[in-house]
Amino acid sequence: MEFEDLQKIWDSQSNQYLYTINETAMYNYIASKKKKTFLIANTSELFLIAVNLFTGTALVFMSISNWKLMFFPILTAAWMYITATYVLIHRIGRRKSDRLFDKSIFGNLTHAISTATYQVRLSMLMRWNIIPIAILSCWGVWNKKHSVWITGLILLVFVIAYFASNWEHGIHQKRKRDLEALQDTLQK
Amino acid sequence: MTEIEQQDIFHQWLDQYKALLFKIVRSYAFNAMDRDDLFQEILIQIWRSVPAFRQDASVTTWLYRISLNTAIKWTGKEQKHTQAESLDKVPSILQEHALQTDERLTWLYEEIYQLNKIDRSVALLLLDGFSYKEMAVILGITESNIGVKINRIKKQLIMQSKKGGHHGI
Repeated sequence: MEFEDLQKIWDSQSNQYLYTINETAMYNYIASKKKKTFLIANTSELFLIAVNLFTGTALVFMSISNWKLMFFPILTAAWMYITATYVLIHRIGRRKSDRLFDKSIFGNLTHAISTATYQVRLSMLMRWNIIPIAILSCWGVWNKKHSVWITGLILLVFVIAYFASNWEHGIHQKRKRDLEALQDTLQK
Repeated sequence: MTEIEQQDIFHQWLDQYKALLFKIVRSYAFNAMDRDDLFQEILIQIWRSVPAFRQDASVTTWLYRISLNTAIKWTGKEQKHTQAESLDKVPSILQEHALQTDERLTWLYEEIYQLNKIDRSVALLLLDGFSYKEMAVILGITESNIGVKINRIKKQLIMQSKKGGHHGI
């Protein structure tokens, strides 16, 4: 057989639709995406609450251990408690809104996008939240007449944390965009 | 570009060029799970590419460029699902169309799949009637290189068709 004959076979049939889209499999695929999104949101909320409560409490104990309240650690601890409370309130709100979405493919996907949007917002807020904590911490250390190197080192840790947080935020944004693209495909 | 505009263009492309995407998926993915995976990946990349599309290339050329690049990257990215057993466990998103039973075309796809990942792209573009120049633009390689590859691909396909003598070839 010559190449022209192969070309004829190709031309006669290759533009037919080779596949159809299986709705049930699509549903399962989306359900697994939704589950993954919820797991990420859940873990990061619990992690943020735990870290803020633990660090805040540790700062309070450190400040009152010698029966003399220190201004900056207490202020930092208060900020961390506020952060933990904020995350907790939003977590409750998110869990309540779970009931608003139906169990259809589209409903599942909309739910997953809603959770991903929440996650993007949360990671953005937590990234900005590093700044006041860094200021309070560095100010506190500086005020206690520690060397400039120690203050610089603490600042460096916060700068690294900020960039790491930025990177994490990018991952959540990408996941959200992927879900939106999938939703668009489904709507067609 | 607003999101609604992006959505409209994406819908339009998907509607008109679905067959093109299916061809690429079939040429690059070994089994149903891989086909699903690659299909999703291609759709996502096309969605992202919509705002970057300029009218200096045709939509077909653009879609081929995006889809083939995605398929080539996807092929090298990870160990694919080559075990047939996994097919039974997970239902596939893309199901083969019942009308599509021509053995000669199936044979042709199998032969394309045997080529290396770049040659697969060249074979698809060749069979879809693209010029050397267009292929060079889509794949980012020189026209002379395209010519060499085409000669090799044609020889191989002809040789295989003569060797086989089955599937109505």
